[in-house]
Amino acid sequence: MISGLTTQGDVAGDLSLECGAVIVGSGAGGATMAAELAEAGVDVIVLEEGGYHPTESFAAGTGRALRTLYRDGGGGLAFGRPWVLYTEGRCVGGSTVVNGGMSWRTPARVLDRWAEQEGLRAIREQDLDPYFTAIESRLSVGLQDPETIGRDSGLFKAGAEARGWNVIPNRRNQLHCAGTNNCSSGCPTGAKRSMLVTSVPRALSLGARVFADCRVDRVTRAGPGVTGVTGHVVRPGGRRGPRLTVRARTVIVAGGAVQTPALLMRSGLRSASGRLGRSLSLHPNAVVTAFFDEDVAGWQGVHQAFQVREFLSEGLLLTATNLTPPMLAAVLPAYGRELGELMARYNHIVTAGPLVSDTGTGLIRNVPGLGPQVFYQLTDRDAAQVVRGVELTAQALLAAGARRVLLPFDGAPGVRGPDELRRLLARPVPKRSLQLFSIHLMGTARMSEDPGRGVVGSFGEFHGVPGLFVSDASVFPGPVGINPMETVIALAMRNAQRLIERRGRLAG
Amino acid sequence: MAGPSSAPTPGPGQAPAEVPARRAARRFAEVACPPEVRADRRADRVLGEFGLMLGCLPPAARKALAAALVLLDQGARLYPPSRGRRFARLDDRVADAYVRALLARRGAAGAMVRRLKGFITMCYYELPEVQREIGYDPAPYIAAVSRRRLESYGPQIRAGEAAVFIPGTGPADGENP
Repeated sequence: MISGLTTQGDVAGDLSLECGAVIVGSGAGGATMAAELAEAGVDVIVLEEGGYHPTESFAAGTGRALRTLYRDGGGGLAFGRPWVLYTEGRCVGGSTVVNGGMSWRTPARVLDRWAEQEGLRAIREQDLDPYFTAIESRLSVGLQDPETIGRDSGLFKAGAEARGWNVIPNRRNQLHCAGTNNCSSGCPTGAKRSMLVTSVPRALSLGARVFADCRVDRVTRAGPGVTGVTGHVVRPGGRRGPRLTVRARTVIVAGGAVQTPALLMRSGLRSASGRLGRSLSLHPNAVVTAFFDEDVAGWQGVHQAFQVREFLSEGLLLTATNLTPPMLAAVLPAYGRELGELMARYNHIVTAGPLVSDTGTGLIRNVPGLGPQVFYQLTDRDAAQVVRGVELTAQALLAAGARRVLLPFDGAPGVRGPDELRRLLARPVPKRSLQLFSIHLMGTARMSEDPGRGVVGSFGEFHGVPGLFVSDASVFPGPVGINPMETVIALAMRNAQRLIERRGRLAG
Repeated sequence: MAGPSSAPTPGPGQAPAEVPARRAARRFAEVACPPEVRADRRADRVLGEFGLMLGCLPPAARKALAAALVLLDQGARLYPPSRGRRFARLDDRVADAYVRALLARRGAAGAMVRRLKGFITMCYYELPEVQREIGYDPAPYIAAVSRRRLESYGPQIRAGEAAVFIPGTGPADGENP
């Protein structure tokens, strides 16, 4: 029993609540806001569409995790050429429960660009440094203990260093991570300091109320401002349960770059800039699969130990990340007997790939009968970057001793050496043949001081709608180029402080 | 008040969604998964997993996958070597050639079949005995490294966990305590 936490099983009839601030979503942005506001004495309610799944319920098991911790079983699709598979967390703690735990400060050059292009206030490196320091302290951000680094990470690092590239150890929000490699299915030790084990319990201990299994349908308004939200309780199997009404003069939407604009649009909100639900960036990723002679057992060791930063100025980040057998089988370009033969060598496989800082050409639409749908058109420039990132990743893996490498292009043959790789990539790779996925969606409610260019202002307040705030990666004015969690949390802390300073609005 | 967990989407112990075009889905599993799928009622269990996954998809995606299975099944009649038979009734050689041709197709049809293949094979490799056969057995490993963590860093871990509840503070200076 956790004081202040309510799940669907606790709710028999319609709920009608009142508070100072209602927060939609309990991920990096929502949970941080909740903890900060609760600490300042604000009466906070957090509404989370997903369930509450404690650390003790986490074990190895991809299917269980996809069904309970992810939206739509982790099978989101961004339609375009090519389709991009994306995932979003949906549980108490949000995507921080299923991410890899990479914690990086926003690069100064990115913050400078945002400040200059969008006229944003208090967002330079020196402005955010105090928040980064506080986050890193509270979430135990630091380097991995060496005994937890797996052979797959070691091989990728060796290959990159053999090429003369800059490789750095990952900074992660972890309290002596055990290296279970179960990040994407929920950390079974609680070592990953997700919102589930940090800001959510912190907020609860400070008096916040958290309602799991509650989907918000609309933000309600009267005049120019907001009056709260309406929604419903989600029953097992996704069935619609009792109605939910929360009255609050401050509404903070933190549902992620797909759900946040979808909620705002179905609430009848429009931005003067026309950018609500547009400018989606998603850091396209691709998986290169390499086969080694030696036993790698990539599932033994931390999820992601190193990053290749050599090409960051070009918008490319390379890293090795182990995939569980179900995930790997799903992406390997083989079926039947051939798939069985490839998978039989599972313990000899290293998977790695690039993350591309893209140019933001996607949009979110509420399609009647279907709900929020994502459309994304990969630009020629970004497609070329994906191919270059794949080539660099393959080069590192071959340099590390890989005997064979499979590339994420439909119909591409395996390559057995640098010469074959060069020959294969000398021909153009059709954009539609790229196999892409994304875990970093952002930019659909972008910050700008100019209402003609953005959706929210410097501190996350929706232009023209007092009391309505956005607190997730939707507010990024462009791709951050690295793992976005720490940026989301820093902005949430900063914006919470701003709200607290103007707390008259927060009276319940 | 909250119990130990909640599960708004299908979880352990809950009934899976009905698998659409079940015979076609089963035949597709037999072709898309390694040959061992035919042993020990594995195909049935793959379909069980498939049903659970379908249960957590939004209705539109469920319908799209159901439609894809029906099209896969009936579309085989237009594949000349099938001699007018649906996919569920094709022999192994023709079924394999048909699936190979579909997977190689460009456009939405090919993408949908590749997605279906990903879905079904993901369900196959979710089976514990299949994971053990390829040398993946994470539970004992997780137990061992979790124990090692507590033995090596117990006091620091307890201090770090407790710090979450101290207003305005946390573990020291951005590194593990």
